[in-house]
Formats: sequence, structure tokens, C-alpha cells
Amino acid sequence: MSERRIGVYVCHCGGNISDYVDVERVVGTVQGAPGVVVAKHTMFACSDATQQEMAADIKEQKLDGLVVASCSPKLHTTTFRGVAKRAGLNPYTYNQVNIREQCSWAHTDNHEGATLKATGLVKAGIARSRLSVPLEPMVVQTTQKAMVVGAGIAGLRAAIGLADVGLQVFLVEREKKLGGWVGQFGAMYARNRKGTDLIAALVAEIQKRPAITVYTNAELVAKSGSFGNYVATVRLDETPAKELQVDVGSIVVATGFDTYQPEPGEFGFGTDGVVTLPEFKAMIDASPGPLTYRGKRVKTIAYIYCVGSRQPSGHEYCSRFCCAATAHASLRVAELGRAGARPPPEPGVHQYHLYRDIRTYGKFELMYTDSRESGAVYMKFADDAPPVVALGDDGKLKVTTRDTLTGGEELTIPADLVVLVTGMVPRKNNELMTLLKVPVGTDGFFNEIHPKLRPVETVVDGVLIAGACQGPKSASESVASGLAAVTQSAAILKKGFAELDPLVATVNASACTWCGKCVEVCPYSAIAKVAADGREVAEISASTCKGCGGCAPACPENAIDLKGYTDAQIRAAIDGMLEEKAA
Amino acid sequence: MDYDVLVVGSGIGGMESALKLGDMGYKVLLVEREGSVGGRMILLSKVFPTLDCASCISTPKMASTIHHPNITAMTYGEVDGIRRDKNGRFHVQVRQKARYVDEAACTGCQQCETACTVAVPDQFNADLVARRAAYIPFPQAVPKKAVIERQGTSPCTNTCPAGIKTHGYVSLIRSGKYEEAFQRVADVTPLVATLGRACYAPCEDQCTRGELEAPIPIRRLKRFAADTHYGRKDLPNVDRPQANGKRVAIIGSGPAGLTAAWQLARQGYGVKIFEAEPQPGGAMRLSIPSYRLPVEALERDIANVTALGVEIATSTRVTDLDKLRSDGFDAVCVATGTPSSAKLRVDGEDLAGVQSALSFLRDIKLGAKPNLAGKTVAVIGGGNVAIDAARSAQRLGATAVHQICLERRGEMPAHTWEVKEALDESVQLHDGWGIAGFTGNLEVEAVDLKRCTAVFDAEHKFRPQYDDSDRQSIRCDLAIVAIGMGVDTAAFPKLAPNGSRALQANPQTLQTSLPWVFAAGDAVDGPTSIATAVGKGNRAAYMIDRYLRGLELGAFEGIDDRLGVMDKSQVLARQKSYTPRKVIKLSLPLSAHPQDFAEIEPPMTEAEARAGSGGCLDCGVCSECGQCVETCPADAIHLDMKEKKQEVEVGAVVVSTGYKLFAADLKPQYGFGKYPNVITAMQMDRLLAPTRPFNTILRPGDGKVPERIAYIMCTGSRDKTVDNPLCSKFCCMYSVKQNQLIMGALPLADVTVHYMDIRAAGKRYEEFYDQAKSMGATYVKGRVAKISEKDDGNLVVRYEDIENGGNLVEAEYDLVVLAVGVQPNKDPVGLFPEEKLALDDYSYVAELDEDLNPGRTNIPGVFVAGTASGAKDIVDSILHAGAAAAQVAAHLEEQAQAQRETTQAKMKVLA
Repeated sequence: MSERRIGVYVCHCGGNISDYVDVERVVGTVQGAPGVVVAKHTMFACSDATQQEMAADIKEQKLDGLVVASCSPKLHTTTFRGVAKRAGLNPYTYNQVNIREQCSWAHTDNHEGATLKATGLVKAGIARSRLSVPLEPMVVQTTQKAMVVGAGIAGLRAAIGLADVGLQVFLVEREKKLGGWVGQFGAMYARNRKGTDLIAALVAEIQKRPAITVYTNAELVAKSGSFGNYVATVRLDETPAKELQVDVGSIVVATGFDTYQPEPGEFGFGTDGVVTLPEFKAMIDASPGPLTYRGKRVKTIAYIYCVGSRQPSGHEYCSRFCCAATAHASLRVAELGRAGARPPPEPGVHQYHLYRDIRTYGKFELMYTDSRESGAVYMKFADDAPPVVALGDDGKLKVTTRDTLTGGEELTIPADLVVLVTGMVPRKNNELMTLLKVPVGTDGFFNEIHPKLRPVETVVDGVLIAGACQGPKSASESVASGLAAVTQSAAILKKGFAELDPLVATVNASACTWCGKCVEVCPYSAIAKVAADGREVAEISASTCKGCGGCAPACPENAIDLKGYTDAQIRAAIDGMLEEKAA
Repeated sequence: MDYDVLVVGSGIGGMESALKLGDMGYKVLLVEREGSVGGRMILLSKVFPTLDCASCISTPKMASTIHHPNITAMTYGEVDGIRRDKNGRFHVQVRQKARYVDEAACTGCQQCETACTVAVPDQFNADLVARRAAYIPFPQAVPKKAVIERQGTSPCTNTCPAGIKTHGYVSLIRSGKYEEAFQRVADVTPLVATLGRACYAPCEDQCTRGELEAPIPIRRLKRFAADTHYGRKDLPNVDRPQANGKRVAIIGSGPAGLTAAWQLARQGYGVKIFEAEPQPGGAMRLSIPSYRLPVEALERDIANVTALGVEIATSTRVTDLDKLRSDGFDAVCVATGTPSSAKLRVDGEDLAGVQSALSFLRDIKLGAKPNLAGKTVAVIGGGNVAIDAARSAQRLGATAVHQICLERRGEMPAHTWEVKEALDESVQLHDGWGIAGFTGNLEVEAVDLKRCTAVFDAEHKFRPQYDDSDRQSIRCDLAIVAIGMGVDTAAFPKLAPNGSRALQANPQTLQTSLPWVFAAGDAVDGPTSIATAVGKGNRAAYMIDRYLRGLELGAFEGIDDRLGVMDKSQVLARQKSYTPRKVIKLSLPLSAHPQDFAEIEPPMTEAEARAGSGGCLDCGVCSECGQCVETCPADAIHLDMKEKKQEVEVGAVVVSTGYKLFAADLKPQYGFGKYPNVITAMQMDRLLAPTRPFNTILRPGDGKVPERIAYIMCTGSRDKTVDNPLCSKFCCMYSVKQNQLIMGALPLADVTVHYMDIRAAGKRYEEFYDQAKSMGATYVKGRVAKISEKDDGNLVVRYEDIENGGNLVEAEYDLVVLAVGVQPNKDPVGLFPEEKLALDDYSYVAELDEDLNPGRTNIPGVFVAGTASGAKDIVDSILHAGAAAAQVAAHLEEQAQAQRETTQAKMKVLA
């Protein structure tokens, strides 16, 4: 018989779980199981009221283990660890069982099966809990310094923000010049401020702050250490090449984006007069008066939207900024035309926007309205019938499209200029990805842990992402996310210490024969060879280990165990789960 | 400085800012207007594009917010004003509104919600269902503590001179709690049946429903409660309280005396009533005719008092107050009313056959019914007593009854309905006549009248003017004078009188010139009404109790404290329109020649009582029915709780007051508010949420599960006709989310979206949109012109089918969802009375340098987070709030640095 005193809470999650899993039956099955002294079901386990009830049970019933069967541990592990901690129970004696993503949501068509599976998983959780031992988090001092990688608008603003909250900052930029994309732009949407001016203002602010050290022509090439105490190696592209190491507590990655480069022939790309949005933007920025191309006044422009974006093959995502940027560019063209118009007023530039959906969200809508009111024509094409760009016999570009807004009529627009509204693509920097071990999403951009719960954090503690390296953003949205990364850095560094999960792998040195297999599988370079009692054995750095468990099964001597997930616990969990099937 | 930062509003933006600032080590005061933190996000079903349930994302943030060691979260609070001083610090007026619930004691058990008798639209369920006036905002509320919503005192309760919680018993009757309704009246007075019949019901004059079709029949509802109570076979035993050893004598057994006795006896005082007349009840017994108030009803009320052990010594006139003292009474309450009649002082007044109305009525009530057959009666006076006398004379067989009064009919002090009833019973009214005298030989034969030209002077003082040339004479066998009543001041020579007619007592404490003697009712006030006298009797009991417990009499909270009266127009503005209700009409079986004194008014049926009380508009929201107080197992509810104001100093302010949703009825062509099956997307989100009100998706009109559902995008957005040219940013995506959830919940349902552009701009949004399309949702480009309703509740949507030739076509749906957008919340402007918080052209809080300094407003140290600065989805709000937090931290560090430098400079000077 178990002498443990475990509390089990099974959550309805409103109806998310209980619509499919018979929650009360699950509770009934484990009621009175060895070591289980409390078994309850609850509408929302994560609600404050239930949290308080759990805390009261922990105290009154002197619980020494806690099992919550609700949703994915990704969501609420910290929540319930917090409950345990507040009630005086070691947070690592709590186990999360996922009966939502793994039972109710996965088996909406089979209530009985979902209930059985949930019961099995809860029993497995209880079995694992019976063998749980109290663990203490590792407390590490944190370095009050941060690094920002990338000096585009997000990185620059983040560097200033970090300095302003009292942190030392190292700003690392690969290029010679600070400013990234925005530093090359003239007037930008939505407020017509010049990108060059914005960057100049930020650079001036940087120069005022001695806490910021700027490295240009520089790259982050190595990172060691762990959360709160990283050692970052920066290679300076000087002659001779120089590397220097800095201690930082956090790293803000703000490496930005690349623009989509169309394939040759894609909407006539490669033909003279077919330009991408950034190329077009550069033309406008450089134009003192009415827009010209190859020395000739541009009288008709056709814009083709979503080039490289929202494509079933290739980039499925929407690039978010392009509609507003194009509406703005179109307004600028009209403005330039007016500036150079000679009386009597010349007809303005004919602008045709061939789009799928215009996504000028929020206040950007005003630019779209202004653009239409300034005479630009917007024509919607069907997703499966994109426009065709061809060179006519007269040597002029012709864009043929079907406008769904006017009954699908086929129109051919002779254009002086065809603008391919190209979006953002993830920047190719595999070295950095490998180095930082920050995962990317299906779209190829860096992935946050959770867009709402932890929007600038990555799975690597202390490595934060900001700006368009996370996904397409406007300049001001990039600035906001850069500042959000500042906030997150300050929140973790200003305390001066950090607590690291103790759920890490340990080596039983007497059983280790140093074969090196564990080192091969460790993705975090946490294992090193050390001498112990005259033998060579493996040692795992507790602060570097992320507890992924990869090394444990790789060890031929069974010398590695993962705290919180020991072999004994896993075996007990399997037995617990099978118990249900036998019944 | 009390706190480093004030955060106003606890939606997702406010919580995020507060949490991050707290994590950075700053002390945060978070003020939330509602009873729970969480804002709007917690009310959603799931959130795009991850389909996480909104509760699962919100609740941990809410719990962290409340439990964070650096955050003080004030829910149900208000920020009344913020002033910036010359050092850049802010002085904030913060107000903790009264929840009327002791937060520490409340366990969130929700029993008060079950007991509450008032239902109002549930704003946390987008008005789809009702909640109670006593409520916990929503199941995941943090803190999970009840709030009693009290907007003010309902006009009926406010006007009741007796101090009865009128709205309370009305709402109890509406809930079928008849016994509780009776007890609620009995909390004030034992005279429930009496007031239910003979009260002049000033409450009904104040009833807000009177602004619509008719006031609700409040008086008769009280009678219904009394009839029901007294009709019970299992009348509850009266619990006699533990005697406290003190004794109080009450002189007079009218409404004031009986009420005072009732209250004192219930508190354990030994009470004895001394009544000069042979029967108890005062004017109720002796003056009010039985056809209005049957003696049995009054006796039943009086039995409430005697059941408590109160002794009533009848035919016992008390004049020696000192003797009462020496007989062991610790205090005395004089409630002798106005037994003496005023005289006309005209010739012939002492002829036989000239009688005061009080003695005439008293004779009838005491059983000496004079036979007036073949006689002509003149009744002099225009008040209620005169009417009672005239109508009684009719019942005694008089050939003719002439009522003569100074006033013109419209100015008569008697109630108009009483005058009308008298006329219906063939009383002949002679209005605008004064009495010149009576003529006759020993016995009166006629009354001589002179024309009264004005009753009141310019200052509205009673000063009648006569035209002596305009005269007439009315023959009569009996003249009944009812022109005024007064107290018998001579009875208590030791008590100071007030003028010639009434006793003097402190109007607040009712204490007389002798500290142990209190005086209440008409004896002090002159002739008023039963309800007024009840109120005074109640007050006297309260004061006597305090006096005998040695407490100061100056504290009136227990009896006078009430919230301000509700403004009727404000009450009526809660709803756009009102369906007229059937008026519970009282058709009295009045006879032109009444023969007897049987009660005229029939009792109310239960159906009438329920229908009548059902019209109550719950003006003050909480009806003060007291059920929650009684039910609460933790004794946590205190209706006398007060709001608390304080001033705090902070270093920075975050405005995170969120947005408002577009009011869909501003697009009348879509029929929201008119067609029940046209709902808003917020309502759909509630229908889909795990805490959904109906546990399934159904259409509100008839509860049918919809099979064809249409979405109308851009309702109130991108629309100059409603003054909002902006895009609301999140409607496309929440609609796409709802499309998926509907298709998951109702696999057979067809979902059609009428859109302008689908704006799936954001990380994984386009993929999410693709997923909805692949699940089968149909997206139709084109605006909707009009929606009309069919007889079966289905809706015909007329729209432009752009992709199929652009024709105007119609489609029929079971349910239409309006994708309503964002409107600015203009409240933040009011936070800063002394300097102007800049807004942008569309009334959102302006960010002066949105490009480089998101979150900064025009006021140094004031920042904006989330949708207060413009439409944002949750992800963007969270990022924006994170950015605002960084700005706040930079500001605070700069301020601290400046402070250090100033201090150092001062030190240098000193050195």
C-alpha cells in the first residue's frame, strides 16, 4: 500500500473535456486508489476558486502529491506548480495529465473510448506521482546585461529600451550600417515619416547612452552557458578578424526578414518594367517629381498583389504589411504626379490594383480609402485565376485579368510599370538558428512559445525574439515587439537571479563507462567528460541541460536518469495505464 | 509614493502591463471597474489562430494578477481623477465602490444569486440571458466574490413615508415569495393588511412604469401579500424575543403607536399600550369606514402586536406621565393622534344635528348606526374624512348627501379617485362654497353658503376669500363637519405644545421636552396619513431603543440611510423600447345607492399579482428584498456598506480601458434588436463558450438549432454611414474562428460569410482562414443591403453577389450573426480633469510617436496599452501592453535618476 497522500483534480474545462469524457466517472475510478486521499472534479481547474480549493486541500489534508488532469502541460504547468508552492507543497511533486488535447479533443467521436483513455492517463499520472520526490529549483545569479542581435528598427529600439531600464546592452549588427530595411526607406506608411529619419533618431539616442556598445560588421557566432549567464562570442569582420566574448543574461533576436524574390517569369518578372515592391519603393523614394521609368513618365501602373504570399504551394502565409504599404505607395505616386503637374492639370497616373483581399487593417483602412478616392482602381481577381503579364506586340506590358467586381469581365491593362507586391520571407540564417536553437514555424519564421501567453519568449530560456524575424510586421509593430522583448528581459534579469527547472538528467557515475553516446545525442552540449575517482565519466551541467531526456535511453549502461521522469516512474506510469485496459 | 504605477482597466492589456511591471519589481495598483479582472477576453469561447480556449489563457493571467506580490488589484473600483504635480508624480482619486459584500467573508457559493429576486440583462453573456442583481460576474471570476448591484433607491421605496422597502416586496411577489413579501412589510409595521387597503399609495404616483402604460398596482400587491399570509392555515408561530427587562409605555394605538409597539416588542421590550377608546386602532378603527377597511383586517394586524405579548389597555386615558414612570416604564411614546375636531366658528354650529365627522364615523364604527332614511345630509369639508363621512351617510340610507367644500374640485385635498367614487355613489358635490352659518330652530334645517373665490393667498397660505353677494342655502337634516383635526394638547400639560394643535418633538429624534418621553405620528405632525404615522412610529421605536441603550440619538444611519433616488429617465433609457403590458385594472363594483358597509375592493388574484408585479422595472436594480442577506451562509452581505475613497500617489499611469463594441442596432437595415434571430458575434461567442448559457448553439427566437448561419462582416466598420471609416481588425478572424467552431459543434450546419475583404493578416491567420474554407465555410464577396424576417423567424438576406455577376439576390438563413467592430471607449478622457489627454481623430487615445514610442501619450508619465489606442487583436494587444510596460519602466528609471541627481545636488550645496 502506498503511504502517499495525493490529491487528484479532474477538470471539465467548461465543456471542453466533459462534453466527451465522463469526468465524474474518471474521478470515481480513482477514488480510494492507493495513495489517493482527495479526488475531485472541477469546472475549471485553473480558475482562482479551484486553485484556492486545491491549496486548502493541500494544507488540510497534508497532501504530498498533486495530480491535475486537464489540458496540455504547455498551458498550465506553471499555474499548478504555483498553487503547490503557495500551499507549501513542493511544486515538483505535482504532475499534469493531459486529458483534453489527448482525450476529449482527439476523440470527439468516441466518448467511451475517450473516458477510458482519460482514466488510464490519470492512473498513470497517479502512479508517477507515487514515486515523485521533492526537487528544488536551481537558483542562478543573472547577468544584468543583454545582447540584441540585429540593428533594424526593432533591434535599435530594443537596445535603447534595455538601456533605459538599467541594463548594459551589446548591439550586434551584421552590416556596416545600422538601420536595416527601414534605414533605406523614404516616407513610410502610415504617418509618412521617412525611414531614414526614424533610424537617424534612434541612432542619435543610441549614441547618447553609454550603456550601449554597438558592434557593426559583426556576427554572433557562439553561445555557451545558460539562462541568465550566457557567454556570447561575437566575431568582428575586421582585418585581422577578431572575436570577443561578452557575458549576457538574455539575447534579443531581431534579425528581421528578407523580401520575396519572384521566380523568373513569375508574373513577367525579369521583363523590363516589372518590378518588386521594394524596388518600386526605392524608385518612389528617389523620385523628385512625377514618377519616371527609364527616363519616361510613368502614366499607368498595374499592381499585382500577394506575389509570393498566400500561395498554396510555397508561402502560404499572408505578409500582412504589403496591402497597406502598396496603398501608401500608390498615394505617394499620386502626390508626386500632382507635385510636377503643369497647368492645365495633366491627367494623373492611372493606377490599377489587382488584389485578392485588401488587408489594410485598423487605421490603415484610411489609406485604402484615400487611394480609391484619389482615383486608383481596385480590381479583385479570383484565387484560381491570377492576372497574366505579357509583353505586347508594341513592346508594352499588358496585364490581363478578370475583375470579379464587375462581373468577371476580362480586361487588359497596358501598363508602363507592373509592380509585383512581394511580401516578407524568413531570413536565411541557418548558422544563427543552429547556434541559438530557436525553432522556426512552418512558415520559416522564428517561433514564440505561445502567441498570447509568452509572445516574445522562445523555448530557449532567455532568448527572445522581436520584430519581423518572428513573422511579417509593420515597422511600428516591430518596435512594439522590440519593446515587449525589453520588458521580458527586464522582468527576468532585474530580479538578479533566476530559478531553473530541476527536471534535468543526472549520471550515476559508478555505472558510467564513458562511451560518449550521450554526448552525441545531447542537443544542448550539456554533457562533458570528467574524471572521477580516476575514471572517465560523463557529467551533465544542470544549468545547461533542458531535461529533454534524449540521453537517458541512449545510455547502454542505464547510468542516466531524468529527475521527475525516472525509469521507475515511467514504468509505474505504464503499469498504471495498463491497469485500466485490463479492467 | 504609494505605488510606482497605476494601471486602469484589467483586460488582457491591463493585466499584461501590470504583470510585467510587477515582475520587473515595480509596485502596481490595478483598478478594475467590474467585479472581476479579465476584461472581455475571458468571455470569449476560443481564440484564433490557436483555438486555445479563452478561459485557459485568461484564468492563469487573472489568478497571477490577483496573487502577484507586487500588484494590488482593486476590483469594482473607479478612478475618479488623476492630477499631475510639478514633480511629475500623479495624485489619483481612487474609489472602491460598495460591493455590499464582505470580500473576505464571501466564499463565492452563489446562494445569494439563487435567492435574489431581481433579474437584469447579463452583460457578461452579451445580454443573451439574465443575471441577478446579486451576482458573481462569471464562473471564472477573479476574485470569485459576489457583488450586489445597487444603482440607487427605487422611486417607490424612496417615497414611502412608512419606510417600507416597497420595491423589495414587489419583487418578492414577482418571484412567488408571498410570505417573504409579507415579512418584508412586517419588518416595518404590523399593519400590512391595513396599509394594503387604506394607504394612499404615494409609491404608485412615483412608479416609473407610470411613465409607460400605468403604474404597477403596488398597494394591492401589499394587500395580496397580507391576504395570502392571513389566509394560511399554517400561520407561523410568533417567536417572542427574550425580554430585555425594560418597559415602554405607548399612549395611543393608532398606526404610530402600534408600529412603535411592534418594533420595540420585537427587540425584547416589555410594551404596554394605553388606549382611551374602547377599541384599539385609533383612526383606523374609528374613522375609516369598513367599506374601505374592514374591522377584521385591522384586528388581524393588531393581533400581530398582541401576539408578541404587548398588552393593550383600552378605555384607559393617560394624562399623568410621571405616574407611568413610577409604574416602572423606562420610556413613553405619545402617539395619541388627532382626536379633536376643528370648529367652523359660524352661527348655528351648536344646533342639534350639526356633528363632527369624527364623532359621526366613530358612532358608526362602534356599532351605533343612525338611520338616515328619508334624511338629507350636508357634509362640510373637502378632505378624505369628509368623503368618508359623505359615503357613509349614503350607506345609512340618506335621501341626498351634499358635500360642500371651499376648494374647487381640482384642488380638493381628497384624492381625485375618492371624489370620483363618492360622486359615483351619488354624493352631490358643491365645490367652491364657504359656510356662512347653519339655520334652524334647535335642530339644523339648512346650511347657508357663500361663494369662496380663493382658498389660498399668494404665498399659498390657507386664507379663504369670499364673495358675500353670492349665496345659497341647502336644506339639511344633518350637517357633518370635517374641516380639520387636532391633538388634545391639554392632556399632557408637561409637554411643550407646537402652536395650538400639536405636540412638540425634535423632528429627527422625536424626543419631547421630557427626555424619556417621545412623541410620534399625527400628535406631532397634525393630520397626515397612516403610512406617515407608521414611519414615525418606526422612528420613535428606533430612537427609544437607542435612548434606552444609552446611545446617542444623533446617529440616523439605521433609519435614514438610503442611496439617492433613481432618475426615472435613466431607468427608462436602459431599454430602447417597451412592450406595453396589460394593465391590471381595478373595476370597483360601485353602486349608485350603496346599502351596506361591505368592503368594496375585491382581493387580487394570484395571477393578477404576478402579472402586476411583473411590470416592475427594477429601477434601483437591487430591490432591497433582503433575501440575499438572509440566505448568505457567511453573513457576508451588508446593504449598509459604503464606498471608500482614497488618494494615492503614483509615478506613472497606464490607461488600458479597452474598447466598446459597435451597437448593432445603429444599422437598422440589419434588424438587430427587432429580429430575435439576428445576433451579434459577441453573442455567438457566448453561445460557443464553454460556459455558454444554453449549453448548445441555438437561435434566441425559438430555441431552434440553426442549420443555415450567415455572417455579415464589417457591421459598423469601414462604414461612413455610421461615422466609422476604420477597419476593426479582429472581426474577420473571430468570424473565421466562430465558423470553425460552429462547424465543429453543428456538423450539419452551413456557414456563409458575406464579406468585403477577409483580413487574415497575422501569423498563422491565413492558414487559419484556409482551414475554415477547407472545413466547408462559404465566403461570399459583397455587402448586405437588408435583412428581413419571415413568419417562421427565418431571415432573408438581400445581398450583392459580386462573384456571380453582381446581381442583388436573396438567401434565407436560420440565424444571422453580425460581425460587430470596435468603437472607442472615451472614458479615459475623464480620468484627467486638469490636463487634456489627447485623442486621435477617431477618439482613441493618441500615441504621439507611434513609430518609435508606442504607448506614449501626450502627458508625460501617462501611457496607453492595448485597444484603448485603437483596434487590436489579442496578440497585438499583448505586445502593445508589453511595449507600454517598457515605456513605463524607462520613465520610472528616468524619474528615479532625476531624483537622485537632485538629491546629490542638494547634498553638494549642503557640503
